[in-house]
Amino acid sequence: MIVLRRTLGQAIHIGDDIRIVVTETEVNGRVHLGIEAPNTISIHRLEIYERIQAENCSAVNGNVMDWLKGASNEEE
Amino acid sequence: MKKNKSAWKAEIEIDEAKQLCFPHGMVGFPEAKKYVVMNSGGGDIVCFQSTEQVEASFLMTTWNEADLGPAPSLTPDQKAALEFSDTHNILWLLVLNPFADQEWVLANMQAPVALNQDTGLGMQCIQADPRLELRYHWMPQPSREAKKAA
Repeated sequence: MIVLRRTLGQAIHIGDDIRIVVTETEVNGRVHLGIEAPNTISIHRLEIYERIQAENCSAVNGNVMDWLKGASNEEE
Repeated sequence: MKKNKSAWKAEIEIDEAKQLCFPHGMVGFPEAKKYVVMNSGGGDIVCFQSTEQVEASFLMTTWNEADLGPAPSLTPDQKAALEFSDTHNILWLLVLNPFADQEWVLANMQAPVALNQDTGLGMQCIQADPRLELRYHWMPQPSREAKKAA
């Protein structure tokens, strides 16, 4: 992992088109980041992304077609 | 047309023109960008099957505004990714999880799928609203209902 030290208003660039700026720092240690990136890149808070990722993995953790067939049979 | 082997070991024919494109993939499945829609022949549940990653096979249903309230709005970035214009129709879908709970089929309201029906572009849109449920009790498991009826 690359560790860069930045202060308020300073930025880092990733590649040619991703720019991350420290827009605000709070006394409690919380940091606000502004992120400019192409809309082909999705940006999320890590904990939320991981929660959705885990839920998606759980949602495909079985044979969906078997489940669908079973559901159709129960309806009949 | 091309032929793909699916997870349930059946061979399916795909009309490539009818494939839906998810430029970002689904969350956790970034490589699965192309999907076909399969349905069971009844009900309002469809299966989005990736043609690139066999295990990426998601059950989805439409966002029912009568039960769930208004569907989310697209952010400007999401509109751009979906090549959305005001004349286009967006269909909102919920990803269902039938495997995590024996009593209920769960629906993920925190990350619904937006599908531009005119361009065939889709994306899973993570919502910032913390009130939306990750595991909404969407419907009882059909097997449980059948037992009750018996």
